[in-house]
Formats: sequence, C-alpha cells, structure tokens
Amino acid sequence: MSTYTRRTLSTLVLLAAPAFGGLAGDPLRVVTTIPDLADLVREIGGERVEVSSIARGKENLHAVSARPSHLVAMSKADLFVEIGRSLEVAFVPGLLEGARNQRIRPGAPGFVNVSEGWEFLDVPAELSRKAGDVHPQGNPHLNLDPRAGRHMAERVLTGLVRVDPDSKDAYQARFEAYCARLSEAEARWKAQAAGWTGRAVVVYHQEFNYLASASGLAILASVEPKPGIPPTPNHVARVIADMKAQGCKVILTAPWSNDNNLERVAEATGATIVELPNQCGAVKGSETWISMMDVIHQRIGSALSAPR
Amino acid sequence: MRRTPFRWSVSLFLASALAAPVAAQGPIFQTPGTPVYPAKPADSGGESGQADRFASVFNPAFSFLVDTVADYVDFERSSDASGFDADLRVLEAAAQAWVDPNAWAYFVGASEDEGLAIEEAALHYVGFGNSTLRAGRFFIDFGKQMQTHVHELRTLARPLVLRAYLGQEVKGDGVQWDHWLPVGDEAAVRWSLGIFSGLVPEEAEFASGGVSQELAERKDFGELNFTARVTAFGDVGSHGTWQLGASARAIPEFTAVDAVNALRQDGLDSTVFGADLTYGWVDDTGQERVTLGVEALVSSGDTGFDVDDPDTTPGTGDETLVVLDDSLFGAYVFADYAWDRFHSGGVQFSAAEIPDAAGSDVSELELYFTRWLSEFHRLRFVVASSEDDTRADALRFAVQYTGIVGAHGHGVNW
Repeated sequence: MSTYTRRTLSTLVLLAAPAFGGLAGDPLRVVTTIPDLADLVREIGGERVEVSSIARGKENLHAVSARPSHLVAMSKADLFVEIGRSLEVAFVPGLLEGARNQRIRPGAPGFVNVSEGWEFLDVPAELSRKAGDVHPQGNPHLNLDPRAGRHMAERVLTGLVRVDPDSKDAYQARFEAYCARLSEAEARWKAQAAGWTGRAVVVYHQEFNYLASASGLAILASVEPKPGIPPTPNHVARVIADMKAQGCKVILTAPWSNDNNLERVAEATGATIVELPNQCGAVKGSETWISMMDVIHQRIGSALSAPR
Repeated sequence: MRRTPFRWSVSLFLASALAAPVAAQGPIFQTPGTPVYPAKPADSGGESGQADRFASVFNPAFSFLVDTVADYVDFERSSDASGFDADLRVLEAAAQAWVDPNAWAYFVGASEDEGLAIEEAALHYVGFGNSTLRAGRFFIDFGKQMQTHVHELRTLARPLVLRAYLGQEVKGDGVQWDHWLPVGDEAAVRWSLGIFSGLVPEEAEFASGGVSQELAERKDFGELNFTARVTAFGDVGSHGTWQLGASARAIPEFTAVDAVNALRQDGLDSTVFGADLTYGWVDDTGQERVTLGVEALVSSGDTGFDVDDPDTTPGTGDETLVVLDDSLFGAYVFADYAWDRFHSGGVQFSAAEIPDAAGSDVSELELYFTRWLSEFHRLRFVVASSEDDTRADALRFAVQYTGIVGAHGHGVNW
C-alpha cells in the first residue's frame, strides 16, 4: 500500500469516525451542577473526562439560571452529577427535560446523585411552607460537610465506572490516591476545629449546618427568619439581642448573602463577618474541594481566635 | 344445527367476560365492551395496572394561584369614570404529572366570572429526541410573552401591541410540533409549528365596532389557523444571554359578524408577524440581573371592523359593515433590573397603530416595582400611563398581590 493510499485511508477513517459515535479515545463528557462535583470528577476521571459545571462558585444555588450553553452541554453529556435532595431544583429539572438526553435521565447509568445514602440533617417533621423554603428530604448543603468528601467521591467513582467500565482500574487508582490526600486533609481540619466545640456562631442561611455539626460549632441563629425568607427588621433585632446575650462574635455567610443586613448585625454586636465559600471557587484559593475546606477552616479559625 | 352458532357465541361471550378483568386497569369486575387498558406485571403495581381508583401514590402535582389587583384609574376626560377598584384578577388551579416515561400532561383552570374555565389542558409527547409534540388546548408560541400567563408577566399587563394584534391571552385547540438543536457549544436553535382549530381573539380591545370574528365549525386544511416560531439563543461571555426570534400567526379564513344589524362578511384573513430580541445579564451570585427586550409586530390582512350607520339608529337597514384591509405596525420595549432575589423594577413602553380608518395610534408606558416577600408571593406597584387617539388618555396606579401555593417550576425559557 502506498504512502498516499495510507494517508487517504487514515484521513477518511478520521473523518468518518465521529459519525459512528466518536473515536474510542474521546474523553467522557461530564456535566456537574456545582464546581465541587466537577473537581471530584476531575480528580477521579483525570484525562479521561471533560467536565463542566453549571453553577459558578459564587452563585446562590437556589437561584441559578440555566443558560443556552448548559442546555447544549446537557444534551451531549455522557454523565451528569448532582448533589440532589432538591438543592438544584431551580435549574436541574428544566435542563434535564429540555436536554432530552436519555443517557443522563434519572435512573439511567449516566445519572449520579451523590447524596444517595447520606444521612441528612434538618429533615422536616411536618411539610409546610410555613417553615419557609424547606427541602422535604432534609438540608441539602451536603457539599459543605467536611466529612462528605469520600462519600461524594465514591458516588462519582461508581458513576464513572458505570458509563466507562473499561477504565475502571484507572478510576479506582485515582480514587484511592484522592482518598489518601483526603485523609490527610480531614486530619488537618479535625485538628483546626479541635477547640471549636460549643462556640456560638450566627449564619445567614442554613447552609453551614453540616459544617457546624462536624466541627462542634453551635449555630445560635440565622439572619433569615426561615430558609429562603428575607430578613425582617424584627427578626434582625432578635438576632442582635441573642448575639449580645450569648456573646456571639462570628457571623458566617457566603458571597451571595453578604448583604447590608449582616453589616447591621455586625455593627450592632461588634461581630466579625466571615465570608466562606459555599462552592469551590467562591473565594480566592478555594478552587478545589479540599482547598475550599481549607479556606473555610482557616477563616473560621482566624475569626474564633481573634481577641474578643 | 341452528343452535350451534348460538352456543359458540354464548361460550365466546362468557370466556371474554371472564378474561377481561384480568387485564383491566380499573375495576376488578369488568363487563365486555368497557375500556381495557394495558396492564403492568403484577409485581409493578398490581394486576390492575398503574393504580386502583383508591390509590393516591400516582396523584399529579396540584397547585393554585391567587392574583389580586387593586387600582385607581384617572381618565383625562371627565365623562369617563375615574375611581378605585379591586379585583380578584385570576384564581388559577393547575395539575401536572407524567403519563409514562415519554409523555406528561397538565391542565390550568382559570377563574372566569364566577366559574373556572379551562385555560390550558394539553399532553406533551417527549419521546422523539429533541422534539415535542403538544396536543390539546394551550397558549400559542409567539414571541417571548404570549406563552406566559398574565400573572407571570414582569409587570401588570401584557404589552399593549400584543393585546391589540393578538389578544390578551391567545389559546387554541390544536397540535404543535417543536424541535431544537445545538449550534456549537454555546447556542441553540428551536422552531415550532402549530395548527389550531381557531385563534381569533375572544375580545378585540381596539376598533372592533362591536363586530365579532367567527370561524367555520369545520374547515379545509388551508383554513385552519397556524403559528410558527423560530428562535436562536446563546451565551454572551460568562454572564450574558441573547435570544433572537421570529414568529407568525395566521388566520386564513374568518367571518366578521355584526349581530346587532345582522351583517356579515366572509372570506377575510389576518396574519401577524413578530420579531423579538432579548438580552439578559446576571452577576456572579445569580441575584443581580438586567433584562432588555424588544419585539416588533406587523398585523396585516383584514385587521379592523366598523359599522357605518348613517342614521345612527341600529337595525334600520342602512348599516354597512366596513372592513379595514391594512398593515399595521407596533412594538414594545422593556428594561428590567433586579438588584437581588427579592427586589426588581423596570419600565415597559408599547405603541401600536390601531385598525381604524383615521389611522389612530395608542401607546402605554408602565413603571413597576416588584417586591418578592418570599419565593412564593409578591407585591407589585405599578404606574401606567396610556395615550389613545380614540379614547381618553388615562393614568393608572395599581397594587398587585400574587401568591403561589403548591408545585411550581423553573425551567429553560425558550
């Protein structure tokens, strides 16, 4: 076979390959709802995946807008990863319905809900909107629990292996390497939080409940009177009074909720506002899930150790 | 000999009567000739199918909505009645559920006088990849605002030009096919084609002269009513979104009827074309938003009606039905700014040529502020000024309070 013929045949094969489902070496197309999950997919999938996240770091997850690029990405995805428990209800159902991608519909091999099997906090005993924008299955802010990294990574691994079983060994090896790093980080966070037990903090939204549960912090009050309900002057006054009575000097918030209500509370109580990342990338230095937890622990530690 | 066929018939009848209940969805006992539904295997919900009549596990999601408006209108002319009013503008009840993995259905009932009228009731078949087949009664796919229910609008009223050329809310009984496809990684194109039995406005807001538009009960295919829309939308950088669309609604054959004077004119037609452009921007937190939009419409064909009555006494026989065959132009533009999840405000201006012999114009300017008290109810304050060549100019102050109870959803806005 002449060189010319070989080149021609190779070119034809390359051109025809996409029509038959893509080249064997094409990376898996993965869409995640939040950057935290994209980081875990990257860690375990390595070069075998091409991952994008719908939410950006600083967004209020209850108010993310679907964009055309998200719809297109969902329509082409091989794997979709969400936190679940209605955390992403503002944008996931519409995108899943619009994208019409059977590979990633709930129940399909390409659909991963990382909250499966997790024990949830704040499961409402009675379902009523009187309690605000409550989530029927419990507090969904699982990604802010320092104990949840391994659980979420395991679900990601299971999903990747399900849609790409040929690469199981590679995914498993990367998962184990990640877990080793995670164990070191968990020990670090445990040490940093050693003296936090019983220390009172105020939050804006109930998104740091898992963090508090893991580290022993006591959440004195939320600036939102109920989840999703904007602060009222009466409620803010009660929070200020409670903080003064308890000597609480730390307010935890995310970039989306760091508004003038918090400034009022901080001014009245002399408390420090601690802006924490609620997703990877929300603040500088929090681009990976482990680095996000590092930033969270450093910032809380600094605020709690500051002279009162 | 004669009795053998009778015996066979009786045997077959008894066999079918006994066999039918085994496969039936509904009642345990079923007589021949009653509807039989495909049954699921016994381990997936019982031998009687998806559920028996007393099971509620597969009930649809129900919701209702209350939209109230209190307003004060000040007409420039003293002959028009200015003053206060308060209204339950709409009570809306809705239910939706999946029929099976490939289809879902919904209905929306809306208050009308003292009753509840079917505003929408449709099935969506979604088992064709990126296509959807919609059948039943539903709002037409025209521009960015005609699919929206009036209480979901960003301000109190649908833009005047839409009310003038299409109607306050345009729903039809028919079918619609739509399809979307990606263009690159950051844009998509969608088109739809709808065929309806009728899309004439229930009530013309301008220059109808008391004349109604009627359609034949049965029509040739070419006399059915049609809608078409094609729209493209994509990302602009990391925070922006654009959308460009073109729409059409065609009524190829209708009759104008003046019941008072027993006048009618057959063989009329009406077509409305629209082009829309929308831009949206959202900040890093997803809470601060800017939305800008414009839509221009051309209404052509037999657009206006009047009754010429020289002696000004109806029913004397000197009346003639006047039909205006003209092309009219109108447009609306809006700017909306939300500085957080719970506060937004904006302005909407709309102007249109209306179908009368004098070539009159109308315009409306609305300023509004919306305060969401939570995700589920909101207060809105509106000031609207209207100028009308044919009627008195008016100034309206309104407060709207709307509450949503039950299932609600957010999704891709085509």
